[in-house]
Amino acid sequence: MRLLIVEDNEELADLLAKGLRGAGYEADVLSTLEEAASVLQTTFYAALILDLGLPDGDGLSLLKEIRHRNNPIPVLVLTARGGLNDRVTGLRSGADDYLVKPFALEELVARLEAQLRRPGHLLGTSLRIANLEFDTRNRQASIDDRPQLLSARETAVLELLMRSKGRVVSKKQVEDHIFGHSTDVASNAIEVYVHRLRKQLAERGAKVQVHTIRGVGYLIAEDKQA
Amino acid sequence: MTRFKSIISRIVILHVVAVAVTSVLMSLALAWLLSFATNNIHNKAMEEQANSVAGHLSVAGDGTLQLDLPLDLLGLYSQAYGRYSYAVIDDKGNVLFSSLKDHGALFPADSRTSATEFLQQRRGDATVSGASVRKIIGDRTVWIQAGEDLANRDVLIDDIVADFYRNVGWITLPILLVLLMIDIAIFRRALRPLREASDIARRIGPANPGLRLPTAEIPREVRPLVSAVNQGLDRLEEAFRIQRDFTADAAHELRTPLSILRTRLELLEERDMSRALLKDIDDMAHIVGQLLDIAELDAFVIDPAEKADLRAVTAEVAEFVAPLAVAQDKDVALLGASHPVWVKGSAEMMSRAIRNLAENAIKHTTPGSTVEFVVEDNGTVSVLDRGPGVAEHERELIFRRFWRRDRRKAGSTGLGLSIVQRIAELHSATVSVESRTPSGARFSLKFVPAT
Repeated sequence: MRLLIVEDNEELADLLAKGLRGAGYEADVLSTLEEAASVLQTTFYAALILDLGLPDGDGLSLLKEIRHRNNPIPVLVLTARGGLNDRVTGLRSGADDYLVKPFALEELVARLEAQLRRPGHLLGTSLRIANLEFDTRNRQASIDDRPQLLSARETAVLELLMRSKGRVVSKKQVEDHIFGHSTDVASNAIEVYVHRLRKQLAERGAKVQVHTIRGVGYLIAEDKQA
Repeated sequence: MTRFKSIISRIVILHVVAVAVTSVLMSLALAWLLSFATNNIHNKAMEEQANSVAGHLSVAGDGTLQLDLPLDLLGLYSQAYGRYSYAVIDDKGNVLFSSLKDHGALFPADSRTSATEFLQQRRGDATVSGASVRKIIGDRTVWIQAGEDLANRDVLIDDIVADFYRNVGWITLPILLVLLMIDIAIFRRALRPLREASDIARRIGPANPGLRLPTAEIPREVRPLVSAVNQGLDRLEEAFRIQRDFTADAAHELRTPLSILRTRLELLEERDMSRALLKDIDDMAHIVGQLLDIAELDAFVIDPAEKADLRAVTAEVAEFVAPLAVAQDKDVALLGASHPVWVKGSAEMMSRAIRNLAENAIKHTTPGSTVEFVVEDNGTVSVLDRGPGVAEHERELIFRRFWRRDRRKAGSTGLGLSIVQRIAELHSATVSVESRTPSGARFSLKFVPAT
């Protein structure tokens, strides 16, 4: 799978390309907006890793141009600017995700894969935490490589949590994901599904924990005590 | 003139002076013109009378001149009336005829010069003014003089002159005052774009440095000033931009090498060695981030119109730090208001302050305990932990830049709480810290509610 890295610091770009190669991706490196814009018109890439501070302008302008042409390529923005406002601006301009320098290569790969696994994108394979695996193609959960049978609602909750690995999923997101936003949902309905899922996972020996972050949402993480 | 600061007051004062001077000059000029005109009328009349007297002169058979005035003229020149008089003088200066009692000439009889002359002569306590006209009657040259006693002048003309100031002269003053009012109105109208520009200028500040004064409506005389002010604002904005760019450039220059270093380490084979180094780099990146925050805060100005939903900002921070807490076997909870709580200020800056409090709380709270975020309707957000708490004597110190309880401990810069303090200052918010029982600290930030 081929990715495009647009980063003006050659050293960092080469290191990233090398690191991504280690994770199984081929990456081309460009250092200016102009080159990137023309290459993107003729070549297909699975994803774009875009630095914002480039010698010939702000990466956000390239991002806007790409989205203006309805190019759905997943874009992961890298930036030295760490402000929340910068993040909002980046996401509003059409970035799919955002990493502040310096970032962990692991984190970059994880975020990239989260993007590539989204419906319609290229990576259709499995998500994994400890001994729990979730295959997004057939929506099948397995523990220690043994397929597990879960109810449709439990599966939906698990899928959302697994896709958001390392991040909190708000209660509202879970509601929307399961019920859509049309119906009236009993206030504790989500609580009930999460509780059931938690029980199912524990009973079947999954070394993961679904944390309730009170007032915020849910977070799935490896269970270090197990 | 420095006492009159406003253009309008200068105009009014100068105009009042001008009105006063003009009304005096105008009255004088009019008076002079009027007396000139009356004199003219008088002279013309006197010349007419002289000519009319001349018309009744004739040469008798003996060669002498004789004057045969009709009754109406005799009445006019009668002593009883006494107002008009005439005399006829020959070329030797002899008085041939005279209406005067002493039978003398009205004016000195050396009138050898022009055909018509206008003269004035004091006689006793009266002043006679009139004309002397040269005529040739038969073969003799005579001068016919006609005069009027000025003390007895035409009452009508005198009335006009006397009434002039009352009836006409004073009209100049109201006219000039009306002009003054009109001028003030014109000037106020002309100055309106300046007042509008002032309203805009009042809104120019660090929060919206892009605002400029409009030049289109400004009077041409003032436009150079307005343009110069705008150019000055351009330079200030540029200076502001340079300052902001510096922080952005510094962030880029510092964080890119750290990224390179970090990625290089992650690609190393020796995992144990690199894990420790990665931790060092993350600590350093944290310090760099905080220093950049401080640099940015020193140049940061809050738009007074800006407001933020404190609950949403806090929820976002809780969401952001939850994975960090869970990784350390600690928990996070968001309590308090479940609806938006609007406060004045920048969401971005509030988020940084709350994040610093949250990171501190997570660091200090004991494993297995929960860090709580409480948002209250009055614009307060509190972060509560179950750590060792803050001793009474340290409560002031902890907000100082670079203050640390234990300088030997790595990974702390002593900047986090000073950032919180600075953000609170910028928002006219208050930071407070108290102890919890049995243990722990409660840090509160009270923002100004937005109405």
